[in-house]
Amino acid sequence: MLVIENLTKRYGKFLAVDNLNLHIEKGEIFGFVGPNGAGKTTTMKIVCGLLDATSGNVTIDGVDALKNSDDIKRKVGYVPDFFGVYDNLKTMEYMEFFGSMYGMSKEDVDEIADGLLELVNLSDKKDVFVDTLSRGMKQRLCVARALIHNPDLLVLDEPNSGLDPRARFEMKEVLKNLGAMGKTIIISSHILPELSEMCTSIGIMDKGHLITSGHVDEIMNESGGNSKIHIRIADMHGTEKSQPDKTEMTDSIDLEADDNAAAKQEKLKEDTYSRDKDRIQTLLMEQPNVTKVKFTEDEIIVSFNGDEKASATLLKNIIGLGINVSAFYKEKEDLESLFLEITDGGADE
Amino acid sequence: MKNRFKINPILKKEMVVGSRSMKMSWAIMAVSGILTSMVVFVLLITGVTSSYGGGYNYQSLVVLFPVLGCTECGLLSLMVPVITSGSISGERERQTLDIMLTTPISPFSIVLGKLWSAMMIVMMYMIASIPVMAIAFILGGLSWWNLLGLFVMLLYLGIYVGSVGIFCSSIVKKSIAATILTIVIGIGIIIGTALIYYIGYISVNAYYMSTGNASINDYLGPIPVFLFNPYSPIFDFMVRAISNSSIYDIVVSANSGALFSVIYRFWIPISMGINLLISYGFLKMAAARINGKVKRR
Repeated sequence: MLVIENLTKRYGKFLAVDNLNLHIEKGEIFGFVGPNGAGKTTTMKIVCGLLDATSGNVTIDGVDALKNSDDIKRKVGYVPDFFGVYDNLKTMEYMEFFGSMYGMSKEDVDEIADGLLELVNLSDKKDVFVDTLSRGMKQRLCVARALIHNPDLLVLDEPNSGLDPRARFEMKEVLKNLGAMGKTIIISSHILPELSEMCTSIGIMDKGHLITSGHVDEIMNESGGNSKIHIRIADMHGTEKSQPDKTEMTDSIDLEADDNAAAKQEKLKEDTYSRDKDRIQTLLMEQPNVTKVKFTEDEIIVSFNGDEKASATLLKNIIGLGINVSAFYKEKEDLESLFLEITDGGADE
Repeated sequence: MKNRFKINPILKKEMVVGSRSMKMSWAIMAVSGILTSMVVFVLLITGVTSSYGGGYNYQSLVVLFPVLGCTECGLLSLMVPVITSGSISGERERQTLDIMLTTPISPFSIVLGKLWSAMMIVMMYMIASIPVMAIAFILGGLSWWNLLGLFVMLLYLGIYVGSVGIFCSSIVKKSIAATILTIVIGIGIIIGTALIYYIGYISVNAYYMSTGNASINDYLGPIPVFLFNPYSPIFDFMVRAISNSSIYDIVVSANSGALFSVIYRFWIPISMGINLLISYGFLKMAAARINGKVKRR
């Protein structure tokens, strides 16, 4: 359906999209993920014919989108990230206005618009002024508007931004229905859990590069080696017992019954929290399959690239090292954590 | 039925939206009020001057036409930039321009739709001003052809100023800045043509001073630069309407050049043609600007 090959877009010296390659099959719901300035909107605008590419090819249904932008406009429906309203224009008039832009007669628009407004759950708002609709309703109307000419490809740029949870849910249902109808949809969003629920495939962009793309499950599996393990330690803050340093750790287990143990523990309690952290971090980093250790307020998050058996071994090793583990669980991998990991925390440019 | 006439969708939308706004009604009332004030002012002035002569001089009321005509031109020159300055920048602010550009409608059609919708408003002002203008015909002894001619002039001026306004709206982000820029460009064209004429005049004068050899034709040579002044055909029209004279009669008696003679005789159509071509250029530039795929981000 949509083939993007070696797409590059420059604004002067700024490289917005760098040699992007992407294939989206017909009927797919493709989620575009990336921090601000990643190049998602630029790519989408090029696909819709709103921007010229510096180099590369974009083909929609076998038609060169960069050379035949007029033909492409009938194949693509575009929903921008901000919904603009015209004062004093009613919902049906809004649909008629954009229908007439595609050369459709009023009768045809009325017939199609009826169905579309029903699809987006706005049938009862036909004669209501657009500027009186809620933001969620406006956004759904915008989707209906983008479908007025029955496009093969629907491009939605952050359609959920600024919507409340209820409106987001309704929008998600609309898009799911469209997906079920066989429409090819490209959607960018920062609300990643929703994308993972809705999209059949995703592409993660950062700084103009497509870092990874493919089916959601495939990408999750690929990154499965980098799951996160949350560890809670009972005496992390030294309230019960501070962690002994590595050279003393084995001894400390044996010395628990020893009379000197209490005195030693007291001495260790005086160690600073930061010293404990450094020590535990060193111990954990020495464990197999551990790639990263991060401390939060009350737990340690370990990036781990092993399987279930390896994580069991890790737990055993940690306990064996004398660390008082009070909780140990593997985080369920989601798109958001994957996105943050791939884009290095999702920092904006 | 298939090939029936299709109205520009933007014009249609603007007409629907505009008709629901009270702004237009207030503006029409303001224009009619200003024109009525001008009539009252002229009647008072002519009444005062007549009292010295012992009777009302109705012939002096012929000035009503140029006064009202020029007032309408002035109001139009201020109103049209206000109407058109938000045409593109407003769509951009609402982000509806991007949506429009993803439809098959061409950027030039968008620009034309905006211009025609501005012209519809201009026509409404003109229609609303007919009762006031009629006073000039009842008391001033002018024909309906003069009124029709004035409306053609106002439409022409509306197209010119509207084109400049739409162009400014396409290059400036804020509507207020576009309004100011349109007025500045308008004033710039008026002053610019006068300045070019003056430079030509003093060049001829300098030539005469140094050589002692320059004819009246040489002095009149730079006059055609005013063809580029959009107000010059209106001036010629007014002169023709009230004095049965014209730029041709004023200038050509001293100028024997055949080419100049033709220019002066057909000053109105030539100047209007030139300025409408310039308007077309402004519209094309506006269309190119809003389509400006490479630069926009």
